[in-house]
Amino acid sequence: MCEKCGCQTGMGTKPKVIDVNKSLFEANEKIGEQNRHHVERMGAVAINMISSPGAGKTTLLEATADALKDSVTFGVIEGDIETEKDAQRIRAKGIPAVQLTTGGACHLDASLVHHGIHELEHIVPGGRLDIIFIENVGNLVCPAAFYLGEHKRIVMVSVPEGSDKPAKYPRAFIGSDLFVISKADLLPYFDFSVEEAISEARRLNPSIDVLIISPKSGQGMDKWLDYLSGILK
Amino acid sequence: MHEVSLVQGLMKQVREIAQDHQAHRVTCIRLSIGPFSGVVLDSFSFAFEVLKRDDELFSQSRLVIKTPAPVLKCPHCGHEVEVQGVVEGEMELFGTFSRAKCPSCDMYGLAPFGGDDILLLQVEME
Repeated sequence: MCEKCGCQTGMGTKPKVIDVNKSLFEANEKIGEQNRHHVERMGAVAINMISSPGAGKTTLLEATADALKDSVTFGVIEGDIETEKDAQRIRAKGIPAVQLTTGGACHLDASLVHHGIHELEHIVPGGRLDIIFIENVGNLVCPAAFYLGEHKRIVMVSVPEGSDKPAKYPRAFIGSDLFVISKADLLPYFDFSVEEAISEARRLNPSIDVLIISPKSGQGMDKWLDYLSGILK
Repeated sequence: MHEVSLVQGLMKQVREIAQDHQAHRVTCIRLSIGPFSGVVLDSFSFAFEVLKRDDELFSQSRLVIKTPAPVLKCPHCGHEVEVQGVVEGEMELFGTFSRAKCPSCDMYGLAPFGGDDILLLQVEME
Protein backbone atom coordinates (compact mmCIF):
# COMPACT_ATOMS: atom_id res chain seq x y z
CA MET A 1 0.00 0.00 0.00
CA CYS A 2 1.18 3.53 -0.74
CA GLU A 3 2.34 5.21 2.42
CA LYS A 4 1.53 8.72 1.22
CA CYS A 5 -2.13 8.42 0.31
CA GLY A 6 -3.18 4.91 1.28
CA CYS A 7 -3.95 3.86 -2.32
CA GLN A 8 -3.35 0.27 -3.40
CA THR A 9 -0.97 1.01 -6.26
CA GLY A 10 2.06 -0.26 -4.43
CA MET A 11 3.92 2.96 -5.18
CA GLY A 12 6.26 4.03 -2.45
CA THR A 13 6.19 0.67 -0.70
CA LYS A 14 9.13 0.05 1.55
CA PRO A 15 11.82 -2.05 -0.06
CA LYS A 16 12.20 -5.54 1.31
CA VAL A 17 15.73 -6.59 2.07
CA ILE A 18 16.32 -10.32 1.95
CA ASP A 19 19.59 -11.86 3.11
CA VAL A 20 20.35 -14.82 0.91
CA ASN A 21 24.02 -15.82 1.33
CA LYS A 22 23.85 -18.59 -1.24
CA SER A 23 26.42 -19.64 -3.78
CA LEU A 24 25.53 -19.21 -7.44
CA PHE A 25 26.86 -22.72 -7.84
CA GLU A 26 24.55 -24.15 -5.17
CA ALA A 27 21.88 -25.40 -7.57
CA ASN A 28 24.58 -27.09 -9.67
CA GLU A 29 26.21 -28.66 -6.58
CA LYS A 30 22.87 -30.12 -5.46
CA ILE A 31 22.28 -31.80 -8.83
CA GLY A 32 25.91 -32.92 -8.72
CA GLU A 33 25.28 -34.71 -5.42
CA GLN A 34 22.23 -36.42 -6.94
CA ASN A 35 24.37 -37.51 -9.90
CA ARG A 36 26.94 -38.98 -7.52
CA HIS A 37 24.28 -41.02 -5.72
CA HIS A 38 22.83 -42.15 -9.04
CA VAL A 39 26.26 -43.30 -10.23
CA GLU A 40 26.78 -45.18 -6.94
CA ARG A 41 23.41 -46.92 -7.31
CA MET A 42 24.70 -48.17 -10.67
CA GLY A 43 27.67 -49.66 -8.81
CA ALA A 44 30.05 -47.21 -10.48
CA VAL A 45 32.50 -44.41 -9.78
CA ALA A 46 32.49 -41.30 -11.96
CA ILE A 47 35.64 -39.65 -13.31
CA ASN A 48 35.50 -36.12 -14.71
CA MET A 49 38.22 -35.52 -17.33
CA ILE A 50 39.26 -31.92 -17.97
CA SER A 51 41.77 -30.70 -20.58
CA SER A 52 42.27 -28.38 -23.53
CA PRO A 53 40.84 -29.54 -26.87
CA GLY A 54 43.10 -32.17 -28.41
CA ALA A 55 45.07 -33.13 -25.30
CA GLY A 56 44.19 -36.78 -25.86
CA LYS A 57 41.24 -37.58 -23.59
CA THR A 58 39.42 -39.67 -26.17
CA THR A 59 42.62 -41.40 -27.26
CA LEU A 60 43.34 -42.36 -23.64
CA LEU A 61 39.82 -43.76 -23.31
CA GLU A 62 40.24 -45.77 -26.52
CA ALA A 63 43.47 -47.25 -25.18
CA THR A 64 41.79 -47.90 -21.83
CA ALA A 65 38.98 -49.75 -23.62
CA ASP A 66 41.52 -52.00 -25.35
CA ALA A 67 43.26 -52.76 -22.06
CA LEU A 68 40.25 -53.26 -19.81
CA LYS A 69 37.60 -54.62 -22.15
CA ASP A 70 37.45 -58.01 -20.45
CA SER A 71 38.01 -57.01 -16.82
CA VAL A 72 36.21 -53.73 -16.13
CA THR A 73 32.89 -52.45 -17.45
CA PHE A 74 32.82 -48.79 -18.24
CA GLY A 75 30.75 -46.22 -20.07
CA VAL A 76 31.56 -42.77 -21.34
CA ILE A 77 29.63 -39.51 -21.33
CA GLU A 78 31.11 -37.28 -23.99
CA GLY A 79 30.79 -33.52 -23.78
CA ASP A 80 31.35 -31.48 -26.92
CA ILE A 81 30.00 -28.31 -28.40
CA GLU A 82 29.00 -30.12 -31.58
CA THR A 83 29.11 -33.57 -33.27
CA GLU A 84 28.89 -37.23 -32.20
CA LYS A 85 32.48 -37.87 -33.31
CA ASP A 86 33.95 -38.71 -29.91
CA ALA A 87 31.06 -40.98 -28.90
CA GLN A 88 31.43 -42.80 -32.22
CA ARG A 89 35.13 -43.39 -31.57
CA ILE A 90 34.33 -44.86 -28.14
CA ARG A 91 31.45 -47.01 -29.48
CA ALA A 92 33.78 -48.38 -32.16
CA LYS A 93 35.73 -49.90 -29.25
CA GLY A 94 32.61 -51.66 -28.01
CA ILE A 95 32.11 -49.25 -25.10
CA PRO A 96 28.70 -47.67 -24.44
CA ALA A 97 28.88 -43.93 -24.97
CA VAL A 98 26.44 -41.04 -24.72
CA GLN A 99 27.18 -37.80 -26.53
CA LEU A 100 26.12 -34.55 -24.89
CA THR A 101 26.31 -31.62 -27.27
CA THR A 102 26.21 -28.32 -25.43
CA GLY A 103 25.47 -26.28 -28.55
CA GLY A 104 28.02 -23.63 -27.66
CA ALA A 105 28.39 -23.84 -23.89
CA CYS A 106 32.02 -24.09 -22.85
CA HIS A 107 31.57 -26.67 -20.06
CA LEU A 108 29.35 -29.48 -18.83
CA ASP A 109 27.14 -28.77 -15.85
CA ALA A 110 25.53 -31.21 -13.42
CA SER A 111 22.13 -30.94 -15.06
CA LEU A 112 23.43 -31.96 -18.50
CA VAL A 113 25.35 -34.84 -16.95
CA HIS A 114 22.19 -35.92 -15.11
CA HIS A 115 20.56 -36.56 -18.49
CA GLY A 116 23.72 -38.28 -19.70
CA ILE A 117 23.73 -40.71 -16.77
CA HIS A 118 20.09 -41.66 -17.38
CA GLU A 119 20.77 -42.24 -21.06
CA LEU A 120 23.85 -44.32 -20.28
CA GLU A 121 21.98 -46.40 -17.70
CA HIS A 122 19.36 -47.10 -20.34
CA ILE A 123 21.81 -48.47 -22.93
CA VAL A 124 23.95 -50.54 -20.54
CA PRO A 125 22.82 -54.13 -19.90
CA GLY A 126 21.39 -54.30 -16.38
CA GLY A 127 22.15 -50.61 -15.90
CA ARG A 128 25.38 -51.44 -14.01
CA LEU A 129 28.94 -50.30 -14.64
CA ASP A 130 32.27 -50.10 -12.80
CA ILE A 131 33.40 -46.70 -14.13
CA ILE A 132 31.68 -43.79 -15.84
CA PHE A 133 34.13 -41.46 -17.57
CA ILE A 134 32.78 -37.98 -18.17
CA GLU A 135 34.84 -36.37 -20.91
CA ASN A 136 34.30 -32.66 -20.41
CA VAL A 137 34.26 -30.03 -23.16
CA GLY A 138 37.86 -29.25 -24.15
CA ASN A 139 38.61 -26.17 -22.03
CA LEU A 140 40.91 -25.65 -19.05
CA VAL A 141 38.96 -22.70 -17.63
CA CYS A 142 35.20 -23.08 -17.18
CA PRO A 143 34.78 -26.83 -16.52
CA ALA A 144 36.84 -26.36 -13.34
CA ALA A 145 33.98 -24.39 -11.72
CA PHE A 146 31.31 -27.06 -12.18
CA TYR A 147 31.04 -30.13 -9.95
CA LEU A 148 29.33 -32.90 -11.90
CA GLY A 149 29.04 -35.48 -9.12
CA GLU A 150 32.39 -37.08 -9.94
CA HIS A 151 34.38 -39.17 -7.46
CA LYS A 152 37.67 -38.23 -9.10
CA ARG A 153 38.67 -35.29 -11.25
CA ILE A 154 41.51 -35.62 -13.73
CA VAL A 155 43.25 -32.74 -15.46
CA MET A 156 45.29 -33.56 -18.54
CA VAL A 157 47.94 -31.55 -20.38
CA SER A 158 49.67 -32.81 -23.51
CA VAL A 159 53.35 -32.19 -24.14
CA PRO A 160 52.88 -29.84 -27.15
CA GLU A 161 50.75 -27.50 -25.00
CA GLY A 162 53.70 -26.60 -22.79
CA SER A 163 54.65 -27.06 -19.16
CA ASP A 164 53.36 -23.61 -18.12
CA LYS A 165 49.73 -24.76 -18.19
CA PRO A 166 49.36 -25.44 -14.44
CA ALA A 167 50.59 -21.91 -13.65
CA LYS A 168 48.33 -20.41 -16.32
CA TYR A 169 45.14 -22.34 -15.51
CA PRO A 170 45.43 -22.80 -11.74
CA ARG A 171 41.84 -23.59 -10.87
CA ALA A 172 41.76 -26.74 -13.01
CA PHE A 173 44.71 -28.04 -10.97
CA ILE A 174 43.55 -26.89 -7.55
CA GLY A 175 40.36 -28.93 -7.90
CA SER A 176 41.79 -32.11 -9.45
CA ASP A 177 42.92 -35.41 -7.94
CA LEU A 178 45.20 -36.51 -10.77
CA PHE A 179 47.37 -34.60 -13.25
CA VAL A 180 48.04 -36.58 -16.43
CA ILE A 181 50.84 -35.44 -18.74
CA SER A 182 49.92 -37.00 -22.09
CA LYS A 183 51.71 -37.53 -25.43
CA ALA A 184 54.90 -38.28 -23.49
CA ASP A 185 56.35 -39.85 -26.68
CA LEU A 186 56.74 -36.24 -27.93
CA LEU A 187 58.94 -35.10 -25.01
CA PRO A 188 62.17 -35.30 -27.10
CA TYR A 189 60.72 -32.85 -29.64
CA PHE A 190 59.28 -30.15 -27.39
CA ASP A 191 60.66 -27.84 -24.71
CA PHE A 192 58.31 -29.29 -22.12
CA SER A 193 59.76 -29.28 -18.61
CA VAL A 194 58.22 -32.16 -16.70
CA GLU A 195 59.77 -30.73 -13.56
CA GLU A 196 58.15 -27.30 -14.05
CA ALA A 197 54.75 -28.82 -14.82
CA ILE A 198 54.81 -31.03 -11.72
CA SER A 199 56.22 -28.44 -9.32
CA GLU A 200 53.67 -25.80 -10.41
CA ALA A 201 50.81 -28.31 -10.13
CA ARG A 202 51.98 -29.37 -6.65
CA ARG A 203 52.39 -25.77 -5.53
CA LEU A 204 48.73 -25.21 -6.36
CA ASN A 205 47.62 -28.57 -5.03
CA PRO A 206 50.20 -30.40 -2.89
CA SER A 207 48.21 -33.66 -2.84
CA ILE A 208 47.69 -34.02 -6.61
CA ASP A 209 48.88 -37.33 -8.12
CA VAL A 210 50.86 -37.20 -11.36
CA LEU A 211 51.11 -39.68 -14.26
CA ILE A 212 53.20 -39.32 -17.41
CA ILE A 213 51.68 -41.36 -20.21
CA SER A 214 51.55 -42.02 -23.91
CA PRO A 215 48.75 -44.23 -25.19
CA LYS A 216 50.64 -44.29 -28.51
CA SER A 217 53.91 -45.74 -27.20
CA GLY A 218 52.35 -47.42 -24.19
CA GLN A 219 54.52 -45.45 -21.74
CA GLY A 220 52.91 -45.15 -18.31
CA MET A 221 49.78 -47.06 -19.33
CA ASP A 222 50.42 -49.70 -16.64
CA LYS A 223 50.45 -46.95 -14.00
CA TRP A 224 47.23 -45.48 -15.42
CA LEU A 225 45.52 -48.86 -15.22
CA ASP A 226 46.85 -49.30 -11.65
CA TYR A 227 45.40 -45.91 -10.77
CA LEU A 228 42.00 -46.98 -12.08
CA SER A 229 42.04 -50.29 -10.24
CA GLY A 230 43.02 -48.35 -7.10
CA ILE A 231 39.86 -46.28 -7.45
CA LEU A 232 37.73 -49.39 -7.86
CA LYS A 233 38.99 -51.06 -4.69
CA MET B 1 34.73 -17.49 -18.52
CA HIS B 2 31.00 -17.73 -19.19
CA GLU B 3 29.85 -14.55 -17.48
CA VAL B 4 26.57 -14.37 -19.41
CA SER B 5 25.38 -17.78 -18.25
CA LEU B 6 26.43 -16.98 -14.67
CA VAL B 7 24.34 -13.79 -14.80
CA GLN B 8 21.41 -15.75 -16.24
CA GLY B 9 21.70 -18.19 -13.33
CA LEU B 10 21.80 -15.26 -10.91
CA MET B 11 18.69 -13.68 -12.44
CA LYS B 12 16.85 -16.99 -12.26
CA GLN B 13 17.71 -17.35 -8.57
CA VAL B 14 16.71 -13.75 -7.78
CA ARG B 15 13.48 -14.09 -9.77
CA GLU B 16 12.46 -17.04 -7.60
CA ILE B 17 13.17 -15.02 -4.45
CA ALA B 18 11.16 -12.07 -5.81
CA GLN B 19 8.24 -14.38 -6.60
CA ASP B 20 8.36 -15.86 -3.11
CA HIS B 21 8.09 -12.34 -1.67
CA GLN B 22 5.58 -11.09 -4.25
CA ALA B 23 7.94 -8.31 -5.29
CA HIS B 24 7.49 -6.67 -8.66
CA ARG B 25 10.81 -4.89 -8.85
CA VAL B 26 14.32 -5.77 -7.73
CA THR B 27 16.23 -2.63 -6.79
CA CYS B 28 19.58 -3.96 -5.64
CA ILE B 29 21.51 -7.23 -5.80
CA ARG B 30 24.56 -7.64 -3.57
CA LEU B 31 27.17 -10.23 -4.51
CA SER B 32 30.53 -11.39 -3.36
CA ILE B 33 32.80 -12.64 -6.16
CA GLY B 34 35.91 -14.49 -5.03
CA PRO B 35 39.28 -13.35 -6.41
CA PHE B 36 39.99 -16.86 -7.74
CA SER B 37 36.53 -17.50 -9.20
CA GLY B 38 37.79 -16.77 -12.70
CA VAL B 39 35.01 -14.22 -13.21
CA VAL B 40 35.92 -11.06 -15.12
CA LEU B 41 34.03 -8.37 -13.21
CA ASP B 42 33.61 -6.01 -16.17
CA SER B 43 32.14 -8.78 -18.32
CA PHE B 44 29.84 -9.85 -15.49
CA SER B 45 28.51 -6.31 -14.96
CA PHE B 46 28.19 -5.76 -18.71
CA ALA B 47 26.20 -8.99 -19.11
CA PHE B 48 23.87 -7.86 -16.34
CA GLU B 49 23.36 -4.43 -17.91
CA VAL B 50 22.46 -6.04 -21.23
CA LEU B 51 20.21 -8.77 -19.84
CA LYS B 52 18.28 -6.50 -17.47
CA ARG B 53 17.16 -4.11 -20.23
CA ASP B 54 14.22 -6.10 -21.48
CA ASP B 55 13.25 -7.47 -18.11
CA GLU B 56 10.71 -5.54 -16.05
CA LEU B 57 11.76 -7.16 -12.78
CA PHE B 58 15.41 -6.12 -13.20
CA SER B 59 15.25 -3.00 -15.38
CA GLN B 60 16.00 -0.75 -12.40
CA SER B 61 18.29 -3.10 -10.49
CA ARG B 62 21.68 -2.07 -9.26
CA LEU B 63 24.46 -4.61 -8.94
CA VAL B 64 26.80 -4.17 -5.97
CA ILE B 65 29.81 -6.48 -6.11
CA LYS B 66 32.12 -7.07 -3.19
CA THR B 67 35.51 -8.64 -3.94
CA PRO B 68 37.16 -10.19 -0.90
CA ALA B 69 40.94 -9.94 -0.69
CA PRO B 70 42.81 -12.98 -2.05
CA VAL B 71 44.12 -15.37 0.57
CA LEU B 72 47.35 -17.26 -0.07
CA LYS B 73 48.59 -20.31 1.73
CA CYS B 74 52.17 -21.46 2.02
CA PRO B 75 52.45 -25.09 0.80
CA HIS B 76 55.48 -25.58 3.07
CA CYS B 77 54.33 -24.32 6.51
CA GLY B 78 50.58 -23.76 6.00
CA HIS B 79 50.76 -20.06 6.88
CA GLU B 80 47.85 -18.03 5.44
CA VAL B 81 48.30 -14.47 4.18
CA GLU B 82 45.60 -12.05 3.08
CA VAL B 83 46.79 -9.92 0.17
CA GLN B 84 45.52 -6.37 0.44
CA GLY B 85 45.15 -3.84 -2.32
CA VAL B 86 44.73 -6.27 -5.23
CA VAL B 87 41.41 -6.16 -7.02
CA GLU B 88 41.42 -7.92 -10.35
CA GLY B 89 43.51 -9.79 -12.90
CA GLU B 90 43.56 -13.42 -11.86
CA MET B 91 46.32 -14.65 -14.14
CA GLU B 92 48.57 -11.81 -13.11
CA LEU B 93 47.85 -12.58 -9.45
CA PHE B 94 48.83 -16.22 -9.76
CA GLY B 95 52.05 -15.38 -11.55
CA THR B 96 52.96 -12.95 -8.80
CA PHE B 97 52.13 -15.36 -6.05
CA SER B 98 54.33 -18.16 -7.32
CA ARG B 99 57.29 -15.83 -6.81
CA ALA B 100 56.12 -14.51 -3.44
CA LYS B 101 57.97 -15.39 -0.27
CA CYS B 102 56.15 -16.76 2.76
CA PRO B 103 56.43 -14.21 5.59
CA SER B 104 56.48 -17.05 8.11
CA CYS B 105 59.01 -19.58 6.78
CA ASP B 106 60.72 -17.59 3.95
CA MET B 107 60.07 -20.31 1.35
CA TYR B 108 58.90 -19.28 -2.15
CA GLY B 109 55.70 -20.30 -3.95
CA LEU B 110 52.54 -19.21 -2.15
CA ALA B 111 49.38 -20.84 -3.53
CA PRO B 112 45.84 -19.45 -3.77
CA PHE B 113 43.51 -20.57 -1.00
CA GLY B 114 39.70 -20.57 -1.34
CA GLY B 115 38.17 -17.47 -2.92
CA ASP B 116 36.65 -19.38 -5.84
CA ASP B 117 32.96 -18.92 -5.03
CA ILE B 118 30.30 -16.46 -6.15
CA LEU B 119 27.83 -15.65 -3.37
CA LEU B 120 24.47 -13.97 -3.66
CA LEU B 121 24.47 -12.00 -0.42
CA GLN B 122 21.36 -9.87 -0.41
CA VAL B 123 18.43 -8.80 -2.55
CA GLU B 124 16.49 -5.57 -2.16
CA MET B 125 13.07 -5.44 -3.80
CA GLU B 126 9.75 -3.67 -3.81
